[in-house]
Amino acid sequence: MSAGGLAVHRQKMTLQTTPSDLDLLRLMMAGDEDAFTELYRRRQGGVYRFALQMSGSPAIAEDVTQEVFIVLMRTAERYDPTRGSLAAYLYGIARNYVLRRLEQDRVFVPLADSSEEGTTHPAMIAEGDALGDLTRGERIQSLRDSILALPAHYREVVVLCDLHEMSYIEAANVVGCAVGTVRSRLHRARALLVEKLRAARDRNSASQEVKPARCFA
Amino acid sequence: MNCHDFEAIASDLARDHLMEAAQREKALAHSASCGRCASRLADERALTDGLRFVAKTANEEAPARVEAALLAAFRQQRAALPGTAPARTARQRWLYAAAGVAAVALIVTLLALAASRTRDSQQPGLQKAINPSPAVPDEPRPASPQPQASPSPEKREVAVQATDQRRRPANRIRNVGRSKPPADDLSRPAAADEIATDFIPLMNRETLAQMDGGQVMRVELPRSALMSFGLPMDMERATERIKADVVVGNDGLARAIRFVR
Repeated sequence: MSAGGLAVHRQKMTLQTTPSDLDLLRLMMAGDEDAFTELYRRRQGGVYRFALQMSGSPAIAEDVTQEVFIVLMRTAERYDPTRGSLAAYLYGIARNYVLRRLEQDRVFVPLADSSEEGTTHPAMIAEGDALGDLTRGERIQSLRDSILALPAHYREVVVLCDLHEMSYIEAANVVGCAVGTVRSRLHRARALLVEKLRAARDRNSASQEVKPARCFA
Repeated sequence: MNCHDFEAIASDLARDHLMEAAQREKALAHSASCGRCASRLADERALTDGLRFVAKTANEEAPARVEAALLAAFRQQRAALPGTAPARTARQRWLYAAAGVAAVALIVTLLALAASRTRDSQQPGLQKAINPSPAVPDEPRPASPQPQASPSPEKREVAVQATDQRRRPANRIRNVGRSKPPADDLSRPAAADEIATDFIPLMNRETLAQMDGGQVMRVELPRSALMSFGLPMDMERATERIKADVVVGNDGLARAIRFVR
């Protein structure tokens, strides 16, 4: 297909429909650079953010994004549309690279299942409703940090299902496990987050209690 | 519904996940009558709100240099794969054709000249070196004579490394199983600052094996000659010239060629 193949392809497509990922992939496999560019621009944001939210490192996210699309351009024929969306396929590749990089770098500290003193971010603490003020800008980073502190198998389902709004089925496709496993992991991951925030709220409440001065009378 | 049942679906309830209407009603009714579960649901909903806000405000994208590096890799791959080259304009086709004809004419002329010389004066010393021998050590794998555009210094390493690890260009001839050109000449491929490709055979292996002597000649060719051998070439530099070493047998036939930068 010519350099302007994508434009021609679009003209041939019926009634202003934008080319699907699969259309772009096929054009890309035929050597159409425009199709590759469009596919990249369409999907790079999600892949990059997934890698960033999983690793907390822009450098790792950048490397992973590049690796994902290099793999795509070299082994595009391995993608099977019957097994899931192209986005899920890309996320799956990204996940493997992220986990590999995290294993190499060991940049994260797992969050213990049980609540531990001193591990909650102070910014997550709020009086009365610990989570009620999460929408404040200064606390968003703290929530990100809390997600990063989750064990990887919990973190990935939170990122996929809650941050990227994937269905359980899509997330299971990315992670390569059963739908029920995704559901249970997400349930446990959210419980961990809530538990940490409750503990923080309790500590905050205790520290703010007015202690009566000793009466010498 | 009891607290245990509620706990199992609290996350789905807070996330507005699809569930049976009856189950949802029961869960909400339970949370209205149970303070502990009401608090649990409130925490879950607040967490959901926070996560949605994080998702909504997450607008990070990969730096532009990633796209540039990927496009360079894509072009490199496309150039290396036959049948996937982009369609060329008529002007480009004419340019390719003219360059190809010029290259062939130059090579034929050089070969004829070399043949006339070698017939006049045989070089016994070369004959020994010319015989293909597996004991001859492989040359170091050369870099491509046509460097590809790589927009980012820090990304260049990744892209090149990935290229080497995942795909060997089909047009890169390995030394295994092919005849070697004269070792004496190969030992002086170029000046120290020159980079050369592997020798690319110009005829089949049987004919190469029958080669009993020859010499290496340094020639200059249009850069577009690279395309004749399936090597990538920057079209904007098609009119420039590139050095090449041609192995010419004693019978005057060209056996192999390599490009030097």
